[in-house]
Amino acid sequence: MGEEDVKYVEITYRGIFQKRLAKYVAEGLVYMARDMGKSAVSFGRYGDSPERNGVPAKYYVAVGNVSEEDLIGYSTRVEPEYVDVIAVLDDTLLKGVESWAWQGVQPINLKLRKDGAMIVTSRKPMEEMVKLTPSKDFQWTLGKLNWDRSFSGLWAFNDDTTMERVWGAIAKVRPDIVDIQHVVSYVKSHKKDKLNERLKAVEEAYEGLVIKTMNPGEGVEFKYAPPRLLTWQEMMEGTAIPAVPRGGRNEQFKRGTTKTERPTVDFDACIKCDLCWVYCPDECFDKTPDGYYDIAYDYCVGCGICAEVCPVKNCIVMVDEKRLPDYTRPYGMWKANKVEYKKWLQNARAEVRERPIVPGLGR
Amino acid sequence: MTENELEKEERMYKSIIKTIKQAPLEEFYTSGHRTCQGCESALLMRYLAKISGERTIVVGATGCMYVANTTYYTTSWVVPWVHTQLGGSGGAALGTAAALRALMRKGKIKEEPINVIVFCGDLGCADMGLSGVSNAMTYDYNLLIILYDNESSANTDIQETSMTPYGAQTSFSRPGTARRIMKRRWKKNVVPMIIAGHRNVRYAATTSPAYPLDTLNKIKKALSAGGPTFIHSLDPCPKGWDYDPMYSHELGTLAVETGIWPLYEYIDGKIVYNEPTKGIVEGRIKRKPVREYLEKQGRFSHFVEEDYDYFQKMVDEMYEKWEIPGVMPIRSVELARK
Amino acid sequence: MTQVAEKEILLNGTQAVAYAAMYADVDVTAAYPIRPYTEVMDTISKLIADGQLDAEFIIAEGEHGQFEIVKHASLVGARTLVGTSGVGWLYAMEAIVVTATDRAPVVAVIGNRALDDPGAYGVEHNDALMVRDVGWLLVWVDTAQEAFDTALLAYRIGEDPRVLIPVGVSMDGGFLTHSEQIVRLPDRELVKSFLPPYDRGKLRVHPDNPISVAPQVNEDWVTEIRRQHDEGMERAREVIKEAYESFKKTFGRYPGTTRDITMPENPFVEPYMVEDADVILVGMGTVSKPMKVAIKNMREKGVKAGMLRIRWFRPFPAEDVMKYLANAKVVCVVDRDYSLGSPFRGGVVYHEVRSSLYDLDERPKVLSFIGGLGGREITIQDVEKIIKIGVEQRDTPLTRHTYWVNVRGDPW
Repeated sequence: MGEEDVKYVEITYRGIFQKRLAKYVAEGLVYMARDMGKSAVSFGRYGDSPERNGVPAKYYVAVGNVSEEDLIGYSTRVEPEYVDVIAVLDDTLLKGVESWAWQGVQPINLKLRKDGAMIVTSRKPMEEMVKLTPSKDFQWTLGKLNWDRSFSGLWAFNDDTTMERVWGAIAKVRPDIVDIQHVVSYVKSHKKDKLNERLKAVEEAYEGLVIKTMNPGEGVEFKYAPPRLLTWQEMMEGTAIPAVPRGGRNEQFKRGTTKTERPTVDFDACIKCDLCWVYCPDECFDKTPDGYYDIAYDYCVGCGICAEVCPVKNCIVMVDEKRLPDYTRPYGMWKANKVEYKKWLQNARAEVRERPIVPGLGR
Repeated sequence: MTENELEKEERMYKSIIKTIKQAPLEEFYTSGHRTCQGCESALLMRYLAKISGERTIVVGATGCMYVANTTYYTTSWVVPWVHTQLGGSGGAALGTAAALRALMRKGKIKEEPINVIVFCGDLGCADMGLSGVSNAMTYDYNLLIILYDNESSANTDIQETSMTPYGAQTSFSRPGTARRIMKRRWKKNVVPMIIAGHRNVRYAATTSPAYPLDTLNKIKKALSAGGPTFIHSLDPCPKGWDYDPMYSHELGTLAVETGIWPLYEYIDGKIVYNEPTKGIVEGRIKRKPVREYLEKQGRFSHFVEEDYDYFQKMVDEMYEKWEIPGVMPIRSVELARK
Repeated sequence: MTQVAEKEILLNGTQAVAYAAMYADVDVTAAYPIRPYTEVMDTISKLIADGQLDAEFIIAEGEHGQFEIVKHASLVGARTLVGTSGVGWLYAMEAIVVTATDRAPVVAVIGNRALDDPGAYGVEHNDALMVRDVGWLLVWVDTAQEAFDTALLAYRIGEDPRVLIPVGVSMDGGFLTHSEQIVRLPDRELVKSFLPPYDRGKLRVHPDNPISVAPQVNEDWVTEIRRQHDEGMERAREVIKEAYESFKKTFGRYPGTTRDITMPENPFVEPYMVEDADVILVGMGTVSKPMKVAIKNMREKGVKAGMLRIRWFRPFPAEDVMKYLANAKVVCVVDRDYSLGSPFRGGVVYHEVRSSLYDLDERPKVLSFIGGLGGREITIQDVEKIIKIGVEQRDTPLTRHTYWVNVRGDPW
């Protein structure tokens, strides 16, 4: 008996928009594992609280073949050292997670254990998902839950069977943590309304989960070095820190991974009205010598206000974050080759979706 | 003051920035803050730093704009910035301004104008910090206190404060099966409290980041007015108000257009209305129904007809019954008889 | 340098600190009334009105605001004076803690006072002791002269770049705050040479030195911040020694001493007749004076008694306590405070002393005496009684740890 008998499920989600969903997914897993005779606890990564709209956040479930007391002992942590299953509730999170200053953008599967599994809620074909997924130097399992990301506002829970699907998918890849029988029996005993719909969702996810074995090195190379934090001798005293130099930005905390969408600009349509710049709460627009605005995508959080206030139709359009590989700024591309840029823009805008946020209804 | 003088003064103030093109490009509060998508309070921070410029000290009380804006060992502030405790805004403003005055008078630092701006949220200004803010307003130090009002204790995941609007859902006022409306008290009216109670305040204003030019100018006017000044900004909060972050700007304007949030400034004993509020008070613009504003926010999703009606009635009174429309809930007996 | 013309003037403890602040040329003061410290600010206000001190005098809306004012003024680079008593100190507690963590070297006078309820004006040390764990330098004085000297020292020590920690100067409410004694005031020019200008350097809040102070922090950094503070507190020991030496060199007398008051040169403690003592009393503040008289009386009767007055409670002088108490048979700690439910029901100073002695090979017995609460006197007779109890416990196995001094209802 030891820590190897403890399995961790990491649920990575979008702050606030999926707060309830993540908590409910974790809660269900705890009850199911207990029904299976195991000990189980859940905990949010405390540093993510208070959550901010869109900022990546994490929730954990620990399941053990150890006593409940020992399990609590292993789990009294900010976050586990390793995780066995990662459930990613929004596929744009595949591009990385930056939650706190100095920690940098971490790969989504940073803590995945050898032979572990990661399930991603996504409508993307598996081969495209692989292109977004960081490689590991061991073999592991990637699962695709073919389903839209489920968002809601703070006061709402978007009860759209995403929760049931995540349970079904986990049962498929790791029956040692929760098996399908216990998922079904939990749903039956805890959820009285829309029971058939819920059970069908569990089954669909279980049967329909697209699974791929990821070989060592397969996926994209994701450079991540854990930060070297300053020693107390190196830090300024009195809780003081240097200000941002004039003309600069916060280099140690960029938070571009907050966004699920990013604004694309058609510079040919731009009338230089300045409104995008004025209304940006994240200071992402940099004025160019000829009066346009370039965008610092690494700092953009994708709120969409610029697209909303832009008076020209289709000048600024929000597009799915997954469609663009990096944070290359648009102005330079446009200046370099306007024809190519137009093509690039059309491609980026090929699928533009309604934003899925469900407000209100919280009781 | 004659009509002419009043116009002159108004013109002088208006001349500060005429178009947004004149707004300084440089940011003194910059990217890399852990605020929500579409955070209007962050936008307010950006405006206040931008317009006050490099010779400024900013102090921030505990709240979202503290916790989210600075994640140690980093910051998003270019100008010097200091944290103050939740109820410490008034003291922090006085201490900073008094130190500058004493050190300059005694020749210990260079004599020059340095802006002192202290921001605080609902709790830090209107609840816990109220007595301190009031005290700061009684002295003659040059300081500006800004209330950034997102109508809840947003940093602790949205609890009711005295600034939460009637009926809104918060973690302290969740509608239940026995009681639909848990927040039954009406929102505090802070600027009138400041101007009525503190004779030496020469400038105070309400504002909204949805009106950037108005906001930038008001901050600039406050800083140039001298003495203690006060600004109350209503900042739509996508997290707590529960709407898609892209609608922040729209909700800011709707708050004004429905008359719920009147924009005005107090200048040396006079009230000047701004932006659509001016037209509303003068009867040129019809107020939009409050429903248009309330329905767009999840925090009012439990409202039924009678709640909308009550809200509308309370807002109507502001313009139909108050002697100084939208500002003070008073009416002299003499006027009432007319 | 000893031949400097000193001015002798009758001042109570609070006035003495106000005069020290004037000599230190403070820039910003923040006041709010509460007995018994208030006369510090009454005096400051008059000194400003009379043109003897050039400083901003702000009346806060409460003690919390008071401490926020001086904290922020100090961060901008102003030398500050603040003070309070009893529940006022507790009302300000949040601001008091951040003053230390932001490393703002304000000087605060605490006219020690019992905590409410019920309201009482008299002395108890529980108010100042509330911050014993959060990184303030804490010192107790027992005469008006020592109050004046220590306030000057407090600026020098707290503002030292190696320290940058606020200093709480405690004095017993009533017995010192409201008792006038002759205070020798030094030449102002000499004060300038003793006390360099306050310079925060890279930690100064000013547009010429843009920094952010106290950003929200997570578990990645907090431990290191506390460790820095701990180191500053430790460095204060050396700085305190240097400052006392420099004081003596500059003004020609050791801090706290006059022609009439002499004591060994140790900044942290005042040992009195400890060398051969079997029973040694330990206390803080004005209780030292009746203690000394009682010790003399008891020595005439052949009892070898002594005293160790703790002056600096933070940093706590554990080594001095070990050194001076090592040869005692019994140590009687007289606490003008209480720590209800603590080990053996003892007082706060008792625990510190007892803990300091733990590593001695042969430890004296340590007894706790809780007394003088709410402003009650600890008389010479009380002290003699304490010494007698010490003598009784000397030769028998320890039967009891804690005694309440002169409390109705218990035998005394």
